[in-house]
Amino acid sequence: MSEPISSEWFGFLVERAGLKLTPEQFAELRQGYRFVERMIRTVRRPRDRTAEPAHIFVQPRA
Amino acid sequence: MDPTQLTIAEASRAIHSGQLSPLALTEAYLERIAGLDGELHSYVLVLRDQALAAARARTDEVFRGPLHGIPIGLKDIYKTSGIRTTAGSRRYLDHVPDEDAETWVRLHDAGAILLGKHETHEFAIGGPDFTLPFEPARNPWNTAHYPAGSSSGSAVAVAAGLCAGAMGSDTGGSIRGPAAYTGIVGLKPTYGRVSRCGVFPLSYTLDHCGPLTRTVEDCAIMMQALAGYDSQDPASADVPVPNYQAALTRRLNGLTIGVIRHFHERDAVADFGADSAPSAAYVTAFDAACRTLERLGARLVDLQLSPLIDYLDANRLIMLAEAYALHEADFCERPHLFGHHMFARIALGAFLSAADYVEAVRQRRELAVEFARALATVDVAVSANSTGPAPRIDAVSTYSTFERASYTSPYNLTGSPALSVPIGFENGLPLAFQIAGKPFDEAGVMRVGHAFEQATEFHRQRPAIAASLPLHQ
Repeated sequence: MSEPISSEWFGFLVERAGLKLTPEQFAELRQGYRFVERMIRTVRRPRDRTAEPAHIFVQPRA
Repeated sequence: MDPTQLTIAEASRAIHSGQLSPLALTEAYLERIAGLDGELHSYVLVLRDQALAAARARTDEVFRGPLHGIPIGLKDIYKTSGIRTTAGSRRYLDHVPDEDAETWVRLHDAGAILLGKHETHEFAIGGPDFTLPFEPARNPWNTAHYPAGSSSGSAVAVAAGLCAGAMGSDTGGSIRGPAAYTGIVGLKPTYGRVSRCGVFPLSYTLDHCGPLTRTVEDCAIMMQALAGYDSQDPASADVPVPNYQAALTRRLNGLTIGVIRHFHERDAVADFGADSAPSAAYVTAFDAACRTLERLGARLVDLQLSPLIDYLDANRLIMLAEAYALHEADFCERPHLFGHHMFARIALGAFLSAADYVEAVRQRRELAVEFARALATVDVAVSANSTGPAPRIDAVSTYSTFERASYTSPYNLTGSPALSVPIGFENGLPLAFQIAGKPFDEAGVMRVGHAFEQATEFHRQRPAIAASLPLHQ
């Protein structure tokens, strides 16, 4: 598993999100952030611009 | 005869023939709950008086159908009018809704009786958490062990004979994981097949509602009442509902079944490390289950898909983003109301960007198309569920959800129907596999699950605690 994000950079992310964390929560979420980094690596890949998400909406019947 | 040992189908026949009354059946379940649930913690609320009143009414009524007088329970994220619904959280500890979940309306109208509300991980994600007001449910096969979640109480209650069937919800495996660890049947229907109206959401585009039962036939009975269009649910699909019980057969002649082996044989260890390796007993049980399907007349072929992690991380990223958006105001303004696991897991969603989310939903479509093409060559697919027995409940860590391979969430991502069925035991704890199908082909997956059940005895085995009470007189 990769090195955890730096405290400084993670502190910026926490502040931007508006979360008020205890030191214990900060430390735990900083460790957990490595899973977020892995998820982002998995889904961020070159794609054709036409590779759209699926998006349909079924209108309720009258 | 102890009526709580009967399946829904058996109890229904006994009620219809007059050999058993809904009142006697309800009283028997309430007696078992009083005797056993102090150890199992599967209920957060037992509705004794309401259940008895409903049972008396059902006893005096004309028979409505196979759910007439059948006592069930609801995961405590299903809203019940006038009855406390907590979502397993301090945030809603005193919440009494003024509406019923559409699924409960349909089950009620079919004649079911509500015994109570089942323990759930907080908002269907944060558990097992000993910092919450409700004790986490325990696995009835060994109470030191985890029953999985988040529909923990629902699965435990069904497995221990504390209700005949139950409703769970499934965003990454929260019906099928608990079904696997407790040795029962759990179905995640197709996205859009069963209404989510009146159920606390976790992740709008991944949430599914579905039943937990002791047999596939019971699952078919519950699905008959549950399935169908609901204009109140924006994701509901207006697709005809077949006769599920009529689709059940004992043979599988002419069927082609795809086997997805690489998820558990290769991908789990490659992407999540040696801790995610399937146990030897699991591999043996999975292979034996495949041979049973062949003996029943099916032709088996291997299916190759993208690596498991592509499905899992897209599912988890979407879930985190959607769940955080739902709870953001409370996370920023009232974080003390959340349990430790819920906060530590879902707060990670705060650190995702809009582009991350869009990339994940683009990947979802690619994988859904890939899975649809693979399924076009077969009738159904089978794949692993949890690849070993339930761990001890005190060994489940805060980030266990993200640390290990999950075999259930690919079908949340694709929206496919997926059924968990028991396939064996390891150290006295149940093992299971999944049968997944084409969109809206719940009948197809239940047909395969039922035929497998009829050829095996795993679903007939009950935890010792389920038989520990004197027979109801």
